[in-house]
Amino acid sequence: MDRRTVLKGLAGAGGLALTGISAPAIAQGASARTLRFVPQANLANFDPIWGTQYVVRNAAALVWDTLYGIDSSLVPQRQMVESEQVSDDGTTWTFKLRPGLKFHDGEPVLSKDVVASLTRWAVRDPMGLMIKALQQELTAVDDRTFKWVLKQPFPKMLYALGKNNSPCAFIMPERIAQTDPFKQIGDYVGSGPMKFTKAEWVPGAKAVFEKFADYSPRQEKASWLAGGKQMLVDRIEWIVMPDAATAAAALQNGEIDWWENPIADLVPVLKKNKNISVDIGDPLGNIGSFRMNFLYPPFNDVRARRAVLMALSQEDYMRAIVGDDTSLWKPLPGFFTPDTPLYSEMGGEILKGKRDLDAAKKLLAESGYSGQPVTCLVAQDQPITKAQGDVTADLLKRLGMNVDFVATDWGTVGSRRALKTPPGQGGWNMFHTWHAGADCTNPAPYTAIRANGDKAWFGWPTSAGTEKEVTSWFEAKNLDEEKAAIGRLNKAALDDVVYAPTGFFLSYTAWRKNVSGITKGPLPFFWGVSKSA
Amino acid sequence: MLSYILRRIVSTLPVMAIVALFVFSLLYIAPGDPAVVIAGDQASPEDVERIRQSLGLDRPFLIQFGGWVWRILHGDLGTSIFTNLPVSAMIGQRLGPTLSLMTVTLLLTIVIAVPLGVVAAWKAGSLIDRVIMGFAVFGFSLPVFVVGYMLAYIFALELEWLPVQGYTPLAQGFWPWLENLILPAVALGCVYIALIARITRATMLEVLQQDYIRTARAKGLGQGGILFVHALKNAAVPIVTVIGIGIALLIGGAVVTESVFAIPGLGRLTIDAILRRDYPVIQGIVLLFSFVYVLVNLMIDVIYTLVDPRIRY
Repeated sequence: MDRRTVLKGLAGAGGLALTGISAPAIAQGASARTLRFVPQANLANFDPIWGTQYVVRNAAALVWDTLYGIDSSLVPQRQMVESEQVSDDGTTWTFKLRPGLKFHDGEPVLSKDVVASLTRWAVRDPMGLMIKALQQELTAVDDRTFKWVLKQPFPKMLYALGKNNSPCAFIMPERIAQTDPFKQIGDYVGSGPMKFTKAEWVPGAKAVFEKFADYSPRQEKASWLAGGKQMLVDRIEWIVMPDAATAAAALQNGEIDWWENPIADLVPVLKKNKNISVDIGDPLGNIGSFRMNFLYPPFNDVRARRAVLMALSQEDYMRAIVGDDTSLWKPLPGFFTPDTPLYSEMGGEILKGKRDLDAAKKLLAESGYSGQPVTCLVAQDQPITKAQGDVTADLLKRLGMNVDFVATDWGTVGSRRALKTPPGQGGWNMFHTWHAGADCTNPAPYTAIRANGDKAWFGWPTSAGTEKEVTSWFEAKNLDEEKAAIGRLNKAALDDVVYAPTGFFLSYTAWRKNVSGITKGPLPFFWGVSKSA
Repeated sequence: MLSYILRRIVSTLPVMAIVALFVFSLLYIAPGDPAVVIAGDQASPEDVERIRQSLGLDRPFLIQFGGWVWRILHGDLGTSIFTNLPVSAMIGQRLGPTLSLMTVTLLLTIVIAVPLGVVAAWKAGSLIDRVIMGFAVFGFSLPVFVVGYMLAYIFALELEWLPVQGYTPLAQGFWPWLENLILPAVALGCVYIALIARITRATMLEVLQQDYIRTARAKGLGQGGILFVHALKNAAVPIVTVIGIGIALLIGGAVVTESVFAIPGLGRLTIDAILRRDYPVIQGIVLLFSFVYVLVNLMIDVIYTLVDPRIRY
């Protein structure tokens, strides 16, 4: 019996015992104005430009505001900005800030703060880098007006400024934003709806946010990162709980109010508790993936990559990740997030229908594969990567490949995958990961879809067809053109197997029923969330 | 005695230096890179390299180690790669919960284990002895996390007497402090209660067969006096040794216990730092633990002289 089984059994027993309305625990009694939240991971640092982990982005969205915010339709809406103008030739963007914006230290938000913030952000963000490459000047015109002059048009400007994938273009005071983008800030002053109370921060255990009384929300209804961010609680405590069973028990016991991402094993227990609501957290979900190294045999030959794609069963991967709840996953014959405007299945036949192991073996033989070890990196400390790695190892063995299964931790995978040396000399042939669906709605934030060889993400895929269509999307003038470009891109990326998608999966979030206003989204949105005693 | 204590403290310095060098070398050659963790999954190799440079991780081993030693000699444990906070402050933040957990566990252990061991020895071979030793085997065999989950289920979820998780500083009241520590201390203490009860029993059995115990009995001394004054005092040296070793082992046990009960102590900080390759934090904690280990050994040696006047240094 392993630890997880014991944990599940005990948590399950606890859940069954608590299906009735329970009396308050001794530890319960926190004010209804304080929301206690268990985040997906530890908030180990708090600079959303320097470090790009999702958990940092999620906390930063409370403290720092953005010029624009993506709404639930994935459309950027004005946030700190009152108005914008773009010149007829599309090269000069002039923005005006809303009046009355203040930082947490009482200072007004000025154009110089925005200029410094965007300058720092642009060094670290892929879209920012693209804008920076086109930049002639970025200047403050007056206290509320700033101007970005480009050498050529960049139609996706507002999306870049409002996108929700990390790093977001958060606005900080100039003195903080002037920090080297590769060095961490130590002062956490923003203009967002909550203030970060550094004095109460225990990295690895607790982070506390308090309502910013001078925040001036927009008048529109809140929608994801856009609209009026009305805070209905005075204090939010992020409590880091590394142990899932403890988090489940604490939620059942009323010691916490909201658990961002309960593990699939414990969801049935939580669903049985009358005091707890459980629902899909992020409708944009996640895309499972493994990446093959284009630099070395056998996967430097497209036939070997296609052979793997022909043989893999996404159902096997998805069941390994989320269990038998079929409502939590769907097959994904492509690379883009299902149910979003640019979703496409063009060219996806290779991932559909009955899996043809014999044909895959034949194609693999044609690629010249002759039994050399295939170094497969698998992080065992991440349940999603571990599950995928186990399925892949079985798949490769059934294909007749000689698997060198490297079971290690994520820190090691992260550093080893950056090595371009041959697999026998410290390098690798494949590794597993997953991508947030919010990052896969279009090519702008989608690092893994790029296939520009040496400049591409780990695995260094080269696919001229894919790159051509990425450019087409950036240059598209309307949604129809964008859709057409994405369809072609999907096909090209599948033809060349830029990476192997293993399916689309969702995960749950859970909260006490005295908490209301929780919305589904790519990150936990705290505005509009209230709590009764 | 004072000169002995001073000599011992001074002699810890090279030990700590060797431990530090060993740990630093291990971390240096171990795979994994904090820059990768910081940069996030979507970062480019160029970004990762820039972060490595800014953190000084691209410098040669000797320069990194030398810099660290130099800072240590100036009383600076360095700055966490991830939090940008001084390591000493981070350790200070986490010391309270761990010390509290260890103190309560230790007290609980001594208060329960020693009398159990004494009674078991006194009633050796009886049903009481077998029951106590049976519990000892049970307590010794169960992993901390299993005991932890069982306790949390019974006393937090079922009976709702105690909280599942967390830590409240002593400054906020004795009961709020204690209520968070009872379950983890019992979970953590089980192994040590079993261990110390068994050692106490074995040592007491040996002492109870000595001539002076027979003499004490012959003189008509009461059972309590024989057991707790004459026998226990003479059996104390090995018991104290095991308790001392137990303190060092508690540090390891605290890692799991703090995770299960979400206590923000040094154990969790250690695990987090190792997983993220936060080198300065790991080095700081290892130094601290080494120092604690040496100090505990020193204290045990001093206690020997108190319980057995024949021992002199």
